[in-house]
Amino acid sequence: MVKLAHNELIVLLLSISTMLIISRIFAEVGKKFKLPVVMGELIVGIVLGPTILGMISPDVFNYLFPRTGNIPIALDGIFSLSVIMLLFVAGMEVQLPLVLKQGKVAVYTSLFSMVIPFFTGFAVAWFFPEIFSIPNEHDPKLLFALFFGTALSISALPVIARILMDMNLFQTNIGMVIIASAMFNDLIGWLIFSLVLSLTNGDKAEHMSLWYTVAYIIGFGLFMLTIGKKIIDKTLPWMQTKLSWPGGVLSISLGICLLSAAFTESINIHAILGAFIAGIAFGDSVHLKEQAREIIHQFITNFFAPLFFVSIGLKVNFIENFDATIVVIVLVLAYVGKVVGASIGARLGGMSKNHSLAVGFGMNARGAMEIILGTLALNAGLISKPIFVALVIMALVTSLTSGPLMRKFID
Amino acid sequence: MDLSKLKKRPAYPFETIAVAISFSSRCQSILVEAKRLSDALSASLVLMHIGEKTKEKEAELDEMMSAVGIVEANCRVIWMDGEPVETILKLCKLNIVDLLILGALEKENLFKFYIGSIARSISRKAKCSVLLLTNPTNEPHKFKKIIVNGIENPKTIHTINTALYLAKNLAVKELTIVNEVHLPGLAMAMADTSTAPEAKEIKKNLTIEVEEVLQTVIDKCDAGDVDVKEKIVRGKPGYAISKYAKDRKADLLVMNSPDTHLNVFDRIFTHDIEFILADLPCNVLIVHSRVSAD
Repeated sequence: MVKLAHNELIVLLLSISTMLIISRIFAEVGKKFKLPVVMGELIVGIVLGPTILGMISPDVFNYLFPRTGNIPIALDGIFSLSVIMLLFVAGMEVQLPLVLKQGKVAVYTSLFSMVIPFFTGFAVAWFFPEIFSIPNEHDPKLLFALFFGTALSISALPVIARILMDMNLFQTNIGMVIIASAMFNDLIGWLIFSLVLSLTNGDKAEHMSLWYTVAYIIGFGLFMLTIGKKIIDKTLPWMQTKLSWPGGVLSISLGICLLSAAFTESINIHAILGAFIAGIAFGDSVHLKEQAREIIHQFITNFFAPLFFVSIGLKVNFIENFDATIVVIVLVLAYVGKVVGASIGARLGGMSKNHSLAVGFGMNARGAMEIILGTLALNAGLISKPIFVALVIMALVTSLTSGPLMRKFID
Repeated sequence: MDLSKLKKRPAYPFETIAVAISFSSRCQSILVEAKRLSDALSASLVLMHIGEKTKEKEAELDEMMSAVGIVEANCRVIWMDGEPVETILKLCKLNIVDLLILGALEKENLFKFYIGSIARSISRKAKCSVLLLTNPTNEPHKFKKIIVNGIENPKTIHTINTALYLAKNLAVKELTIVNEVHLPGLAMAMADTSTAPEAKEIKKNLTIEVEEVLQTVIDKCDAGDVDVKEKIVRGKPGYAISKYAKDRKADLLVMNSPDTHLNVFDRIFTHDIEFILADLPCNVLIVHSRVSAD
């Protein structure tokens, strides 16, 4: 077995601790100005990455984050694990029964807030691929168009939940409609994105047709959300009473997440889907104690999330890859598609004009989910760095403006 | 069918109580409970059997009625062929039934639950209040503890008033109105930015909000001499109150009728009343309010 050398281990530990400590300081400072934590983490990545530290002091940058040897491999493993864990906790908050419970208004809102941004993004990418420097050939154009549509249609439940909490709207009808619709958007969005990712990986997937991939994704999702969920539901009370608390439930839940992720990766669907669906099956259980849920969230959000979001800044030079045209186009499409789509859905579902617009702006927050999606697409070679930078900016701008714009229509 | 008498008919008093007769081993016990309720509420009884009318069945029913003490003068017996669920629902409408009493197992087997047993299917669709009796006995069992679901909904005021009407007439000592706090997404929203005291404060404030809403509803009710208590429980709606009722060993759980037409998806992705129907914690009264809230 290949081992890290003594010096390599020291550097690895130094780089991880630097990322964790500095991102926590930035997060706490950002909190004073009501900025999303993810923003602080991204800034830390930019500061520690090639954009700033790499420019000012290349030696320090290359020492902390070397590009050759075993350390980048070890860090890549940690970052991959981080994204899997993040998708697991994102899944844990998706509760499909809530969509059924909220009825017509949630169904319309979630459908329209998916369909309109998806087709807006798809159409622009399909008919004007040159804007994004995508070759005008069928396959790359189709994959990019599918990705771009998905990227515009996804929502960020954690940001939305936080905004609703700050606005004291969490337990209101409007709040529940937004939460339920965002959950549904996330589920469909990640299913489509997993399909796009599995199609992108030509080498691995050459033996699997599109329809086989779709069938695998649907089959796996249905199995986990019905039988898998029932099994988890039956065994959780035993886990929480017979195993040591909370260690037992923590290790079993994360074990199930990784097992499920390994399974989807092995059948050529990305590991994130397995983690996400396992999260839904686990988090939807009525037997999962609130304390256990909080511990899992705390552990993943405060350890894996900073590492993942800081790593983004380490990989991409945000100044070099800033393209104003792409940023403006992505921002306009994101606002128009989501706000119009969600507002139409809410209006058709029976909400007043003002409340429908509030739902539209509430659903517009993309936050961390968009950044995760963009990073995976960048790693898969689906998008270029300028598009990735535009998506990150869009995620931050929509998250920052969502609350104030919503407030205009609620008051 | 003239349904004009049904429209805007209040959820209580229960003037007509119907019992679905299945000739099962628990049939006589269900009749005992029905008799007790009809006497206490001065209601007339309608016994309905969906199936063939035979001499053996008639004799058996007569025997049960006399054993229980139901006299024919205060009771009508209806025999009708047809699909049980739809026929019972139709008969309830035709006879302006206010309360339908059914025997129900605490838990159905998985297949029957998803397909839909008769009692549960009626509970989901009925246009009158439905009482599901889980463990009826030949000795009348007095309701001592009633739990009412105080969920924020226009129907709730009628449901609470119906529970109070029952409590007054049945001399119930303890009536607890329970509301559930369920905050999906909250754990994630608080995970990275809230300090421990902040998180505690947020949860506390959200609970206070629910308490205030519940208090507003209770203030509108006429509790009379009934000792009404309030309780906030945390967890998924339906499941949390069901667990609370089971833990408290309640005799009766009273709740609103479903707002929407429930189908098999609501059983697969279980929520609200489906949690209760999946595993009845005690006797369950589903109140159907025919009038809108003020």
